[in-house]
Amino acid sequence: MSTTILGISSFYHDSAAALVRDGEIVAAAQEERFSRKKHDPRFPRHAINYCLEEAFIEADELDAIVFYDNPLLTWDRVVKNCVMAGEPAFEQFEKAAASILGIKLWVQDYARRTLGCLGRSGRVLFTDHHFAHAASAFYPSPFREAAILTLDGVGEWDTTAIGRGDDDGIELAQVIEYPHSLGLLYSAFTYFCGFKVNSGEYKLMGLAPYGRPVYERIIRDNLIDLKDDGSFRLNMEYFGYLDSFRMTNERFDALFGGPPRQPESRITRREMDLAMSVQAVLEDAVLRLARHARRESGAPNLVMAGGVALNCVANGKLLREGIFDHIWIQPASGDAGGALGAALMAAHGYFGSPRRMSPGGRDTLKGSYLGPAYSSAEVRAFLERHGYPYERIEDPDGRARTVAQALADGKVTGFLSGRMEFGPRALGARSIIGDPRSETMQSTMNLKIKYRESFRPFAPSCLAENAAEYFDLDVESPYMLLVAPVREERCIPFDREAFYNNEDMLQIINQARSDLPAITHVDFSARVQTVHPDDHPDYYRLIRAFREITGFGVIINTSFNVRGEPIVCSPADAYRCFMRTEMDLLVLEDCLLWKSNQPAFAEAGDWRKDYELD
Amino acid sequence: MSRQLLEYHSVIGYRFIPGLKARVEHEAGGYLVRTNGAGFRCDREFLPARGPSRRALLFGDSYTAGDGVSNGKRYGDLLETMVPNLEVYNFGLSGSGTDQQYLAYREFARGIERDLVIIAVFVENIMRVNARYRFFRNENNEEVLYEKPYFSLGAEGLTLHGVPPERRPLREMDLPPDARSRIDAGGRFASLRLLARRLGIKDLAQRITRYNPVVEYNRPDDPRWLLMRALLAEWIREIGGPVLVVPVPLYQFIEGTSDPSCYQARFAELARDTGCHLHDPLPDLKAYPKEERRAFRFARDVHYTPAGHRALAASLAPAVQSILDAAGS
Repeated sequence: MSTTILGISSFYHDSAAALVRDGEIVAAAQEERFSRKKHDPRFPRHAINYCLEEAFIEADELDAIVFYDNPLLTWDRVVKNCVMAGEPAFEQFEKAAASILGIKLWVQDYARRTLGCLGRSGRVLFTDHHFAHAASAFYPSPFREAAILTLDGVGEWDTTAIGRGDDDGIELAQVIEYPHSLGLLYSAFTYFCGFKVNSGEYKLMGLAPYGRPVYERIIRDNLIDLKDDGSFRLNMEYFGYLDSFRMTNERFDALFGGPPRQPESRITRREMDLAMSVQAVLEDAVLRLARHARRESGAPNLVMAGGVALNCVANGKLLREGIFDHIWIQPASGDAGGALGAALMAAHGYFGSPRRMSPGGRDTLKGSYLGPAYSSAEVRAFLERHGYPYERIEDPDGRARTVAQALADGKVTGFLSGRMEFGPRALGARSIIGDPRSETMQSTMNLKIKYRESFRPFAPSCLAENAAEYFDLDVESPYMLLVAPVREERCIPFDREAFYNNEDMLQIINQARSDLPAITHVDFSARVQTVHPDDHPDYYRLIRAFREITGFGVIINTSFNVRGEPIVCSPADAYRCFMRTEMDLLVLEDCLLWKSNQPAFAEAGDWRKDYELD
Repeated sequence: MSRQLLEYHSVIGYRFIPGLKARVEHEAGGYLVRTNGAGFRCDREFLPARGPSRRALLFGDSYTAGDGVSNGKRYGDLLETMVPNLEVYNFGLSGSGTDQQYLAYREFARGIERDLVIIAVFVENIMRVNARYRFFRNENNEEVLYEKPYFSLGAEGLTLHGVPPERRPLREMDLPPDARSRIDAGGRFASLRLLARRLGIKDLAQRITRYNPVVEYNRPDDPRWLLMRALLAEWIREIGGPVLVVPVPLYQFIEGTSDPSCYQARFAELARDTGCHLHDPLPDLKAYPKEERRAFRFARDVHYTPAGHRALAASLAPAVQSILDAAGS
């Protein structure tokens, strides 16, 4: 008998829904893509609607609805935390209590109101948070057996879990409990460096190569006690999150020479060095945990999930260290992926659906292209309704050649093609793409297209079979979760010490660092996406056409959004973003729109105020 | 936020986007929409030649297209399960007037073999027939105003205007005053209805005042009815074969808060004069207990619920069966 399960994550950040049928992942999407509110924590009614749409089923055909977290355990932590921290934590307790008692315990009511019913079972099932992460990592992976490592801020009581997956089963053997958390340690530095917690962690990671690890010793001596087996304890005397709404406290300030950086103020040498320092500590912790997981599990493979697993620099180090034969990381590693994990957990652990393995030895995540697609007819209906001029090129190869030539001519292109990605990375379905050979493209795209900080690097997409021509990478990286060195012979050395002695990041950003300057970070690394023809034929075709024209099988790939905006979902979102920025060309499936042909785009009010800066 | 469901059509004004699979969020949870290659909400592709099944072409507005319910739960689909060997081609088009449904017939259905054409006239459609503009709710839940094609009735008969209609939304403020009076706002006393709805007294107010939502049917010589009647008569004449006209009642008539006699009389006159078949489902629908009748519409959305569609199909099925049997097909 067929079994269809809906997984839901919500109420913390990045709400999402996922649908699994007989163990096959049918659909998954984050609520923010539909609601257009970044990291939307609300009940994911739009994402649920999409999942049912993709499966084309009625809500009463669902065999189970599963929530990714156990609210009672979370409540237990909140209460005990308050008791431990005493009076200073009362205010925090009030807010947390209102959240949990006011919302989380009523998941069932939300689901009923959204769906009109609770499916065949008539109730909502709950999984444990780290089990959901573990399931999201193990079940879609290409491994029959694997060690499991989940790392995040906190879920119920746990912040870190080590376990093992075998065929259809998952076991978590060891955990580290709140408040000791690598995720929260990293978030504390994110906050201290003036970035937003739960979204600015990528920026901290991107900032790290500009700095030196001058604070690493201070961090190790004062903030974290890291054991050989990877277990750790944080010194809570320096952190504020137990008893206040701040991540750090005055003692933390004193340790690092002053108060936190104010958001949007100039980034100084201190923040760059802090970023590098905490990155070094995090990488060391991850490597130690991985070694321990290898010893304990005996498995040759590793799967990872949880927000910390999105630290692709640490992932790259882990890969190169060779602790495991193979590693696989869930691309939606944050809380959004919990929705998928919860559904998979119920499918295999509760309903006993046999696990599906890919016959080709690849994973079963379908390239993470699990979101909605819009047909050519839908795109044209949108364009015709608004009278937007477009050119339709139905031949996929001809279309790829036209777009590739535009890229080679320096045109920045918005690219909407196929099913939207699940997870925080754009992988060619909702991407802004450009020519990586340009020395000024990084700052141009940051400042004129993305409206974000100029230091932030861009990532490359390359044909899977050509990756080794450009990067020291001998495995697939389809989800842009591995950072790899650009091949040495392509790099152009520069005087790093001179840079370290001043604070002008633009000086180095606009300096050629390789023959692919726009995707080569200041430490000669790149966050690589390898593109396989099975995952996204149109995107593969485009890169291949670019290679035929330029000799380079690499393009810039950044998410299709502006700063603070969720990645675009629909043609309407894409057109809006296209017209608000200085992009030159927009590809909506088989329709091409040139900016120079478009009518003036009038909007009421200042759209920048719609998006809270991240 | 749901998908865009409709696309521009240069004669009808719009149709569903062909080949669409969508789920529309709705107060009852949501409903599944599938459209065929011709751009209608029908699970069947429209084939010109008839096969071994008997075939009915079904025209109407959102009550026929099935706003609020999934494809398989609409009365058109349920008819297929109730009348043996029947296939229904559903040409229902949400928000359309009978004039646009007639144009849909001319554009898409003329060449299709059939045993019966069912024209389901949601009785409020008479307002749309007399309108040149109509408000719609788009996929972002914004109210937008669109031009529509329309007919006028003169000494020479019917004349089609407004083709092709403007493809982009209009602003009411940009229309000349006489044009603003030709906007269909979805019923009479729009502001009062809105106020009563906000106060939660809409049903009560309508019951107390014996509100008549469709005064256009009050007199046989009302020019608005004459236009509607001329349209239907021409359409029926053009079809040439068996036609079943079904006045689909507003909830006020089903729930007994309004007097249906005027519109019933007009449709009876139409049937008498054109020779079409007429099936008035109202007596069957009113035969259900009061609570069940209330459940024929949603809590807020006035479209028929799955129960409403079942009841309508149950009323229609014997009439359809009888016509098909009489035709010997």
